Amino acid sequence: MRVLLRVLAPLLGFAVAVVGVLVVLEVVAAWVRPRAATGLVVPWPDWYVTLGRIAWTDAPVAGVAIGVAVVGLLLVLVGVLARRTDIAVDGPAPEITVTTSPRVLARLVGRRVRSADGVASASVTASRRAVSVAAQAWNDTGSELRDTVRAEVDELLDELPLHRRPRVSVRVQDREGPR
Amino acid sequence: MTASGPTDLQQGDAPALRPTTLRRRARAAIARSAAADRSLAVLVGLLLLVAGTLVALLSYGVFGAGRASRPLLDPMIVDLLRAQPLAARVIAVVAGLLLVVCGLAWAARSLRPERRPDLVLDGGQDTAIVVNATAAAEAVAAQAAALPGVGRARARLVGTEAAPALRVTLWLTDDADTREVLARLDDEVLATARSSLGLTALPAAVRLELDSAPAAPRVA
Repeated sequence: MRVLLRVLAPLLGFAVAVVGVLVVLEVVAAWVRPRAATGLVVPWPDWYVTLGRIAWTDAPVAGVAIGVAVVGLLLVLVGVLARRTDIAVDGPAPEITVTTSPRVLARLVGRRVRSADGVASASVTASRRAVSVAAQAWNDTGSELRDTVRAEVDELLDELPLHRRPRVSVRVQDREGPR
Repeated sequence: MTASGPTDLQQGDAPALRPTTLRRRARAAIARSAAADRSLAVLVGLLLLVAGTLVALLSYGVFGAGRASRPLLDPMIVDLLRAQPLAARVIAVVAGLLLVVCGLAWAARSLRPERRPDLVLDGGQDTAIVVNATAAAEAVAAQAAALPGVGRARARLVGTEAAPALRVTLWLTDDADTREVLARLDDEVLATARSSLGLTALPAAVRLELDSAPAAPRVA
């Protein structure tokens, strides 16, 4: 979302500026040559006639308005969702801020979990608040494996100086078939 | 200037900076701020959302059937504008100019590259020594990359000449001890940078990444 915002922001800025230029240009042109029948750049006399004829209840008005509202909603969402998802790590001094990304934490946890005995495969999602592990166990190890995996993840989180310790949830599924 | 350390914050000849100020500067160095772009996007989005919703409601007759059946360009409003032509034109021109200025300022702000402040050292009475931002950052990066547990490192200076800060990205190796790496970064790399650049304080934002290890074999 931050990339999208980086692209959208200057485009929106230019769009606003272009609208402003057109308004100034047309108003000054109409002021200077009051007899002219057409606009300088924009055919606003045609728009003027059309807008005078269409009523609010006519078909395209509501549709266009809903379209505008949807575009507005998307912009709001882009703005709201473009926040940082950094995970804060405690630094050695107050003037040092340390951060890492959820991806890094997920990779660390995943590596640790997969190295545990009895884990066939694992997928991990991590955020500032929570780490969730879904592991697949070889045949009959399912019941104890949950505790083993949780202990491994807890040990890893003890080693990392995370500012806020995320909640850990572990899900273990049995995997049938030969090892 | 003598070697710097955390104690120099209080003892240096420059006015001591409060830890909260340093922490704020370090936090600002994490990444380029998108706060202005975000709030403007939300503001423009809300305007469009509210306008679109109100027009749709008006069109569906929520505000009365009589109002809804009037034309978009209401003769009432046209007459009002015709009665005050000068005021209407001046307001339109001023609003247009405002849009131009705000739009260009917004675009320029979000397109402007981030500053890399050069550091000016005090070299005596008639001498000013300027340390190029890239050179200083590369020196820090090279030192940080040499720390045990760090595979690669990248650094750049951010902020202003008066209040520079350092942004460091460390790619940690598999066997790295994060606490130790950070402590050594502070004690060895940043302390050296502060003392050699003659700064009493150099806030830093450190980003931790994982060095891409060679892919493990899929079949053991």
